[in-house]
Amino acid sequence: MVMTTSTAQRLQQYFSTAKQRGFETNFRLGAENYEVWDEVEIGATFNGQNTFEVTEEDLLAFNLGVAEQHPLFVDREYASKHSPTGTVLDHPLFPVLICFYCIGTGPGNWIRSPGARNPGQTLENFERYRVGEVISLRETAWDKWIRRDKHYLTYKHDFFNQDGVQKGSWRCTLILPPTREDLLAFAKA
Amino acid sequence: MGSLHFSNLDVGFRLPPVIQEVTQEVIDRNAVASLDYNPVHTDVEWCQRAQVFGTEKTVGHGMFTMSLMASVVSREWYSEGAWIQRMDSKFTKPVEVGRTVRCEGTVIELHPRGPGQSFVVVKLDASDSEGDTVAVGSAHVRIPD
Repeated sequence: MVMTTSTAQRLQQYFSTAKQRGFETNFRLGAENYEVWDEVEIGATFNGQNTFEVTEEDLLAFNLGVAEQHPLFVDREYASKHSPTGTVLDHPLFPVLICFYCIGTGPGNWIRSPGARNPGQTLENFERYRVGEVISLRETAWDKWIRRDKHYLTYKHDFFNQDGVQKGSWRCTLILPPTREDLLAFAKA
Repeated sequence: MGSLHFSNLDVGFRLPPVIQEVTQEVIDRNAVASLDYNPVHTDVEWCQRAQVFGTEKTVGHGMFTMSLMASVVSREWYSEGAWIQRMDSKFTKPVEVGRTVRCEGTVIELHPRGPGQSFVVVKLDASDSEGDTVAVGSAHVRIPD
């Protein structure tokens, strides 16, 4: 179950932030502890394992990683003069990064499942994410269902800043391996 | 702020497309940026064995396709004060490494809500270099008065 050295090295060459350097890149590692579809209790709520302090390097790295090109997103000097926040802007999908970081290996770790498939997503932004904010994640097991033999799971991820202001919400849905046995079959493939 | 005003927009307005080749480097950079290291995106050898999508190849992140769909709006309108307040997406076909994705957006709804609250709904479509739809979705975009 070891990720090949070449894969890890390939990924490491793109690290540019402290959060990236401290995050495990092998999602097959520890998969035996991931939550699985048939064990999720709908209605349960959790706090994310980590909080996320927004830095400009986080915003910039995300924007570059999603191939954004507008200088408001990728040019610090231009953004300092023209952005409404005085820094590069938060891309509309910036909460995706916050979510993976906050979940880490804690509650909601099914989002890392090998063998998962992405059927579609719903994401709401209530306010811009700003440098210096500390974002916490509140997770709610929202729904799970079976359709055409596929096992869907949705968590509602709510994002709050240090003052309790809700910044956004992401109803994250994946099609998952339904049982631990199924999950481990993918993890060990 | 510039020339973008809610009163100037009509249903049927089309935004310039965003076109992106999805190489392994692009996938890797997106994985690092989002911290989504699912092996279906990054582990070339594992994909050959696991074939989650029935292909031996890695596939791009669905959220990367969704990001490109968002960029249809952000590249054209964010400097004018627009802001995406909601996005929905449905992924219909995986994007294999090496494919090119083309995303397009068209205004389909106008929502006049009063000062600072008016928004439009932009229908978003993404297709690959084979001409197949890979994702559909929509963005609710707040537009300056």
